[in-house]
Amino acid sequence: MRRTPIDEGMSVIVGTVSPDGKPAGCRAICATSKDNLQTMTVYVPMATSRDVVSNVATTHRLAVVGSYPPDHSTMQVKGTTTNVRLATDGEQELLRIRLDRFADVLHSLGVPRRLTRSISYWPAFAIDMNVEEVFEQTPGPKAGTPIR
Amino acid sequence: MIRLAEISRCFQGVIPSIVVTSDSRGVPNVTYVSQVHLIDEKHVALSCQFFNKTRRNLDENQNAWVEVYDPLTMQTYRLRLRFLRSEKSGPLFDAMSLRIQAIAAHTGMSGVFRLIGADVFEVVSVEKNEGYLSEAVETEEDVSVDGLRSEMRGLQYISEQINRTGCLEKLLEAVLESLDRFFGFAHTMILLHDECSGKLVTMASRGYGESGVGAEVRHGQGLIGTVAQERKLLRISGLSSELRYGRTVAREAGSVTPEVPLPGLPDAQSALVIPLTVGDRLIGVIAADDRDPLRFGEWDEAYLNVIANQIALGVDRMTEESEPPIVEQQAPSPVVRSSNKRVFTFYPNDDCVFIDGEYLIRNVPGRILWKLLADFQREGRTEFSNRELRLDASLGLPPIKDNLESRLILLRKRLDEKCPEVRIVPTARGKFALQVHAPVELVEK
Repeated sequence: MRRTPIDEGMSVIVGTVSPDGKPAGCRAICATSKDNLQTMTVYVPMATSRDVVSNVATTHRLAVVGSYPPDHSTMQVKGTTTNVRLATDGEQELLRIRLDRFADVLHSLGVPRRLTRSISYWPAFAIDMNVEEVFEQTPGPKAGTPIR
Repeated sequence: MIRLAEISRCFQGVIPSIVVTSDSRGVPNVTYVSQVHLIDEKHVALSCQFFNKTRRNLDENQNAWVEVYDPLTMQTYRLRLRFLRSEKSGPLFDAMSLRIQAIAAHTGMSGVFRLIGADVFEVVSVEKNEGYLSEAVETEEDVSVDGLRSEMRGLQYISEQINRTGCLEKLLEAVLESLDRFFGFAHTMILLHDECSGKLVTMASRGYGESGVGAEVRHGQGLIGTVAQERKLLRISGLSSELRYGRTVAREAGSVTPEVPLPGLPDAQSALVIPLTVGDRLIGVIAADDRDPLRFGEWDEAYLNVIANQIALGVDRMTEESEPPIVEQQAPSPVVRSSNKRVFTFYPNDDCVFIDGEYLIRNVPGRILWKLLADFQREGRTEFSNRELRLDASLGLPPIKDNLESRLILLRKRLDEKCPEVRIVPTARGKFALQVHAPVELVEK
């Protein structure tokens, strides 16, 4: 089964670019989708996403990579943002649970849970996006192959 | 701006780094990169293996953004980079390629999993990713002065051992013992190059339970074989992460080549492997591994390299001495007697000897053992000389640099481990005795 960025335990990173062509990124806490990756919401910590949020506010371009650390299964989605908002209190519990799941996965690889749990996750921005392209990105000869 | 040297742990490859680039239309791309190589305070290099989109983007837009991780604290640092050039040969390419080549050899992906280019970037800015961690994780200070003094004493001790000892076996064991005592390298081995078989043979080891003496490694096989083939030092941190990455590539490429078992610790997280060379000539390899992913730093690399050079010269000097002085020989192991018959079987086609159905030894040392046992059984002979072995063409010793001493050490150690009732004991300069303390049967198949 192919892993996607919305699965539990994934390492999720977002990438953006400024209007003058300077890339910037940050680690996301998790991503969700209600329509099989037609649209997606990515949650990024407010503390570390200043450049990312600033970039998408002007360029609307976003790339999101999800990778499963134990086997490096990786997928990248690209699209345009439709909304950037503060994550609601109702979403905070989801982010806490997802960070815990990520800590479990890294713990299985020898990273102490307390290290992963020390990553700031709240308050957070929720970035809503339309997914336009999906790529296989698992390291190997098929990396970069379009899936959709 | 933060100095790159201050965050050198981030460049050891324990946690993959993140690279963001963009094409000329402003479409960003994110990828993980296994190795961010620190060149100097103003430059880093990224390994270009599979990320073709990143490569194409850099041709259109030279700006890149990289996030690197401190593996002890999880703190991240952000580097703004400007792409300068891609190097496809030269010292930087070779240094980065060796690491990938070794992982590829270990996962059966040689030639497929390889470095395409070392992409060199100017570092425009470095900043700590403030706010990334909700609480700072404290770490111990790096190296104490006491530690450095101890290591200097260790260098002095090893240097003296190499200079004074006339016995190869004693030298190798003293080196590994002092690496443990003075440097804290608890898991080490030395393999010597056998020109007859073209393989590396394990001559001494420490900290692995089973000695592994006699274990062979082909050139290009795994980490040790790659170092022997390339004659270049290899230091890998976060070994399990690198191997997972290599295995993923192997799986994605549909590789069916069996993976080579890693000599040493089965759960090693870091490794330091150094070729022993004199001029262009390969003498052997010294390898250390550890369960700590950050065990080996630049300092360890530097002084183990110094020690490796001394070992290489010492081993080379001893293999040139045809008859080592008897006073320097190791004390023989205690006598073990048994009334149970031990069956030695020689397989001429495979050039190896088994003991009671279990592999014992192969190639020249195997032929030497068979000759000694056959003479003992046929004529009752127990006294032998190095000279007669050298003159016996059936043994296949090379005319120059025959490494007879290392072959006898190997044979003696294998007998100690697998058949202690049969011993080879030095008796005088260039002479030794075969001592047999159990009934033996010889079978040739």
